[in-house]
Amino acid sequence: MTSCSACSAQGTCVSAHRSTNEMYDRTRAMGLATIFDRYEAQQPQCGFGMQGVCCQLCSHGPCRITKKTDVAICGATADTIVARNLVRLAVHGTAAYTHHLEELARTIKATVAGKTPFKIGDEAKLREIASLVGLDAKKPAGELATALADIILAELRKGSDEPLALVNLLAPKTRLEAWQELGVVPGGVLSEIRDALTKSMTSIDTDPVDLLLTVVRLALAAGYMGLVGTITIQDILLGTPSLAQSEADLGIIDPETVNIVAHGHVPLVATAVIQASQDPEMLSLAKKAGAKGIRVYGSMCTGQELMQRSATSAKGFAGQLSNWLAQEYYVATGAVDLVMMDMNCSIPGLKTVADRFHTRLVSVDRIVRMAGVEDHVDYAPEKVAEQARELIKMAITAYKNRGQDIHIPPYKNPAVAGFGVETILGALGGSLDPLLDAVKKGSIKGIAAVVGCTNNRNGHDTRGLTIMRELIKNNVLVIAAGCMSSAAEIEGLMRPEAADQAGEGLRGICQALGIPPVLNFGSCVDIGRIGVAVTAIAGALGVDPAQLPVVASAPEYLEQKAVVDGVFAVAFGITTHLGPVPPVTGSELVTKILTQDIEGLTGAKFLVEEDPEKAAQAMLAVIDSKRQALGI
Amino acid sequence: MTAYVIVGNSAAGISAAETIRRLDPEGDITIVDVEKTPAYSRCLLPNYLGGTRSEDALRIRPRDFYQKLRLNTCFGYRVARVDVGEKVARLDNGARLKYDRLFISTGSSTFMPPVPGITGEGVYGLRTLEDAKKILAQAGQARRAVIIGGGFVGLEAAWALYRRGLEVTVVEKMPQILPQQFDACAAAILLREMQAEGIRFILGTGIKEIAAPGLWEKLTGKAGRGVILENGDRLKAELVIVATGTRANTGLVEGTGVKVNLGIVVDKYQSTGMEGVYAGGDVAETEDVVSGRIGLTPIWPNAVAQGRVAGYNMAGIPREYGGMIGMQNAVEFRDVPAIAVGLAQADGDGYEILKEYRPEHNLYKKIVLKDDIIVGLILVGDIRQAGVYSALMRKKAKVTRLKHRLLRPDFGYGQVLSA
Amino acid sequence: MKEIMVYTERCNGCLTCVLACAAAHAEDKTIVGAMAAGVPGRLFIQAVNGRPVPVLCRHCEEPACVAACMTGAMQKDPETGIVTNEGHEQTCVGCWMCIMACPYGAVVPAPGKEKMAIKCDRCPDRDVPACVAACPNLALAFIEPEDFARERQKSVATALAVEAGVPA
Repeated sequence: MTSCSACSAQGTCVSAHRSTNEMYDRTRAMGLATIFDRYEAQQPQCGFGMQGVCCQLCSHGPCRITKKTDVAICGATADTIVARNLVRLAVHGTAAYTHHLEELARTIKATVAGKTPFKIGDEAKLREIASLVGLDAKKPAGELATALADIILAELRKGSDEPLALVNLLAPKTRLEAWQELGVVPGGVLSEIRDALTKSMTSIDTDPVDLLLTVVRLALAAGYMGLVGTITIQDILLGTPSLAQSEADLGIIDPETVNIVAHGHVPLVATAVIQASQDPEMLSLAKKAGAKGIRVYGSMCTGQELMQRSATSAKGFAGQLSNWLAQEYYVATGAVDLVMMDMNCSIPGLKTVADRFHTRLVSVDRIVRMAGVEDHVDYAPEKVAEQARELIKMAITAYKNRGQDIHIPPYKNPAVAGFGVETILGALGGSLDPLLDAVKKGSIKGIAAVVGCTNNRNGHDTRGLTIMRELIKNNVLVIAAGCMSSAAEIEGLMRPEAADQAGEGLRGICQALGIPPVLNFGSCVDIGRIGVAVTAIAGALGVDPAQLPVVASAPEYLEQKAVVDGVFAVAFGITTHLGPVPPVTGSELVTKILTQDIEGLTGAKFLVEEDPEKAAQAMLAVIDSKRQALGI
Repeated sequence: MTAYVIVGNSAAGISAAETIRRLDPEGDITIVDVEKTPAYSRCLLPNYLGGTRSEDALRIRPRDFYQKLRLNTCFGYRVARVDVGEKVARLDNGARLKYDRLFISTGSSTFMPPVPGITGEGVYGLRTLEDAKKILAQAGQARRAVIIGGGFVGLEAAWALYRRGLEVTVVEKMPQILPQQFDACAAAILLREMQAEGIRFILGTGIKEIAAPGLWEKLTGKAGRGVILENGDRLKAELVIVATGTRANTGLVEGTGVKVNLGIVVDKYQSTGMEGVYAGGDVAETEDVVSGRIGLTPIWPNAVAQGRVAGYNMAGIPREYGGMIGMQNAVEFRDVPAIAVGLAQADGDGYEILKEYRPEHNLYKKIVLKDDIIVGLILVGDIRQAGVYSALMRKKAKVTRLKHRLLRPDFGYGQVLSA
Repeated sequence: MKEIMVYTERCNGCLTCVLACAAAHAEDKTIVGAMAAGVPGRLFIQAVNGRPVPVLCRHCEEPACVAACMTGAMQKDPETGIVTNEGHEQTCVGCWMCIMACPYGAVVPAPGKEKMAIKCDRCPDRDVPACVAACPNLALAFIEPEDFARERQKSVATALAVEAGVPA
C-alpha cells in the first residue's frame, strides 16, 4: 500500500474504492478486525515461503533452502522444491475448475429430465458443439444435451493416456503441434490430477523440468475443460451472455428490501434464487415481513455470471457489490440478510463479521463448509427450485432480525455487461473484420486481458486499475474477467463514457460502437471465453495466437485457480503479466524457465512486475514487438 | 583520597555510590541515613503490605553490597545540618562528618494535610518501612480502612489492604482517581477494575476531620474512629492511610545558602552551587523535558539517573543530566496494566490527540502531539511499546511520517528506525 | 565483549530466530514445546514498509531499564555485559518501569498470569545465543562490535568498487 496511485482518497487508503475505504473505517470503529487488519498482523511474512523454498511434505520437514544449505534433508534442491510446490498449486486450481464443470454436466442432465427450473438456454450452441464432438446435431435438443453432458463426464474421467477431445478439436493447429512436441497434451482431467498429485509426493518426481511440464499439462487440462468446457456448457444451459445494463458498488444496496448476496463462482443456485425471487408467493412473504421486495446481488464471479446474463436467465439481477477482498464489507453494511456461498472464495473472516450483524451465511455447495456456519442448502439439480424458495424464506427470517446499525456507502456506477465472442460479432455486424482492421490500422494497438483475482499486496484493486487505465490510454482494448471486472465496474471503466479516458484511436472505435474501453467478459472462468476469442481472431487472420498483439495480466493474482489460468495463457501463446511475485524466485531454474525459456517453446512467457506502471509499459512493448513481427 | 558523604540510602544515593566507586576505587565513601535498614525499595512497600513480598525481598542490592563496594554506613542517624563553609555534615548525635563532596538525596516525606485529628493514632502515611510495619500491626485488628488520596500510593495501599482482607474505601478530592497522571477515560477503566474487586470509592470530596474514638462516639453514639468528609458524610474506620502527596526533605540545608524552592535547586551537573555540594532524587528540583516546568520529579528512574550524574561530577568527570520526563508512572491492578507519560491530559488548542479506545478489551491508547512532537502518552491494556514512545518524546522527535502508524498494534522501534 | 549484531538487509522475516529464542527459554527446549506452552520469543521482527526489521535488546552501556528498576532485579553484569532481570537475588515484580524506559521496546510483560517483565538474556548458558545460531540467513551475528564495523566497511567498499568497475 505504499504506491497508491489509483486512489484519490484523503483519509483511509487501503483500497482503490471509496466504498471499501469507508467501510473499513466503519469496521475499525466497531473494533471489528477485517482483512486489511489481518494482513497487517501477518507482517512480516516468511521469506522462504515467499520464495517457494519451504517443503513440508515429510516429517523430516519443514526443510528450507537457506544461506546455510542448498539442499533439503532428502537432497531436494531449491529447483525441485519450487517446482513441486507449483504442481500442488496447479492441482488445486484444476480440481476446483473441474468441480464447476461436473456440477454443470449434472445440471444439464437433470434439466433435460425436467427436474430443474432451468431451460436449455442456447440451443444453437448446443447443436454446434454437439456436431463438433461428433454427435448427430439433428437429434432433439434434449437428447443431444444429455449425450453432450455424458461426453463431458467421460472426458473428465478417462485415463491420462487418452488425449482430451476438446484440446484436439478446439486448439489452433499450430498450438497443438507445439504441445505435442512438449508431450503436454493432457488426458482425462481427474487422471491428470491423480498423476500430478502422485508425482508431487515425496521422492517420486524430483525432476524440476518434468514437474514444470506437469504444471503445463494440468493447465491445458484446466484450460480446455475447466475454462472453455465450463463456459460452453454454462452458455448452453443458462444462455450465452448478451448485452445488458447493470450497476456496481455498495451503493446499489436497497435498505428496504430483503437482500440476498450470491457469492462464489457457480451461478446455478443463484440463478434459481433470482427466478424464485419473482414468485408472487415469495414477494408476499417478504412484504408481510415489512420489506419492499427481494433483491439478489452479486459478489465475486457468481455476480459476474449473473450480470453477463442479466438480460436473459438472470433477469432481475440487482447488480454487483464487490470482489473477493471486499466481501466482509458488504456484510458490514448491516443491510445484507443472507449470503449464499457457492464454490469458491468465501473467507473464514466473513463469519466474524456476519456474527456482528444479523446476516445469515449459507453454504450452497456440498464442498463449501465454514466453521460456525450451520446452514447448508447443498445444491442438488433436482431440488434446486425448492432450495431457492427455502433460501429466500431464510433470508426473510433473517431480514426480520435486521438491526438499526446500517451504513450503505452512497457510491455506485452503471456498467455495460455481456461481452463475449458472440456479442462482439453482433456489435460488429457479424464479422470480426472491423475489429481486425482497427488493429491493423493501429487505432487499436492490441488487446489485453486484465483478469483474475484481487489482492492487497499493493492496495486493493489499485494495481489492476492502474494497469487498465494505462493500457486504454495507449489504445489497447482491455477485456476484463474475474475480480478485475468488479474493480473496473465499480470505478466506472465499463461505462461507454469511459472512452474519454482512452487514447484517441480506441476512443474513436468505442464511441462509434457505443462500447466501453474495458469490456466485461465475466467471471474468472470466462478467461476461457477470452481463449475462444483469441482462437477466433487467430483463425480469422490465419496466424498462431502467439503472433497476435495480445497480452494478458493477472495484476493481483491470489489463489490456485489463477495459477493454472496463467500457465494456460502462456501455454496458449499469450505473454502474461503477474503483479504479485509468485513463490518461485527461490529457484533460478524455474524462474528462468517461466520468465524466459518458455517463450522458445510456446511463444509466450511470464512478465513479473510489481510496479503497475512499469508493468503496463512492458505489456505495451510486447504488443509493439508482435505488431512489428506481423508487419502492422 | 577524596571523602564522599552521601545523605540518603535509597535510589539516588545508591546510584551515586556505585558510580563513584566505579570511577574512584580509592575514595572514602560514607552513606548516612536515618533509617537503619539496608537500601530497600519504597515502591515495593505496597507489595510488602499486601503480603506478596517479604521484608527481606525489599532490599534492592545484595547482602554484601556495602562490603563489596567498601561503603561506610552510618545508619540510624539524621544529618541535622550542613556546614558548607567547613565542609562538614553534622549528625543529630553531635558527630561531624568531614566531606570533600557531599550528595544530598534525603528524599521526601508524606505530606499530612492540616485537618483536625490527622496526627492521631491509627493514621499513617506510607513512605517508609516503619510506616508499613505500623500499618501492618494496625491492620491485624482492623476491619475497615479509609485511604485518603486516589493517587498511585493511595491506590496501591488500597489494593494491598484489600488483599489483606480489609474493607477499603478510597476518598479522592478530585472527580477521578489518578488525577495527576491519567485522563478521565483511562481513570474510569482502572476504577471499574478496582470497583469490580470490591474496593469502594468516594470521588469529588475531600476530608474535613479525622475523629478520635472519643469524639466519634460523641458524634455518632458508636465506638470507633472515623473520617468526616467535606460533604458531611462520615466513614468509620480502624485504619486511615494518608496519601495526598509528599514534601521534599530539605531541612538539613536550611540557612546554608543552598537555594530551595519546592526542593533543592541544582544545575545540570546536579550541583547546588555550594562548593562540593550536590543533590539529586526526590529532594531536588528538575526541569521536565516535555513541559519545561521546573519542579519535583519524585520517580525512581529520575533518582537513579541523577545519582549517576552526580556521581560522575563528584568524582571529577563532568557529565550533564540528560533530562527526564517528569510525569511517568506505571500501575497494574487486576490484569490491566497502565502507563502515563508526560502531558497525558493536555487538551485544547495546539494539541493533537490520537486515540484508540476499546472498552470491551480494557484497551485505551492516547497520544498527545504538539507540532507533530509527542508530548503525552497514556497506554492502558497494551503497554509494550511505552519506552519507544517515551524515547520519541524525550528526543522531541518529529513524528510526522510515523503519525498514522503510532496507534497500530504493530508499531515498534523498527518503524522509528526507518522514518 | 561480543554482542549480537544485525544485518537487516539479510533478514527475510522467517521468524526462525523468534522460535529458537522461545525454544531456548522453554522448559523442554523445543520449538513445539515453546509454542504449546505459549513461551514468547524475546526478540521481535517488525514489518517496516513490507520489509522485516529485527529489533532486539542492545544490552546498553548505561541501560535505561536498569536505572528504572525499583526492585534491583534488572542488572547489567560487569563481566559479560548481559542485562537481565533473571537469576539475581532481587526478583522482578512486574511494575513495568523498565518497559516504559526501554527506547527499543525490547522489554515486554510476560504472557499469562505471572507478573514479570521479560527480555533477551543473551542465552547465558550458550556459547552463541539461540537466535544467532538459528538464523538461516546469517542476518544475526555474535561478534565484537569492532569486527562488525570492519566487515561493514569492507562490504561497503566492495560494493563501491563493483559499482566503479574496480576489482576489490
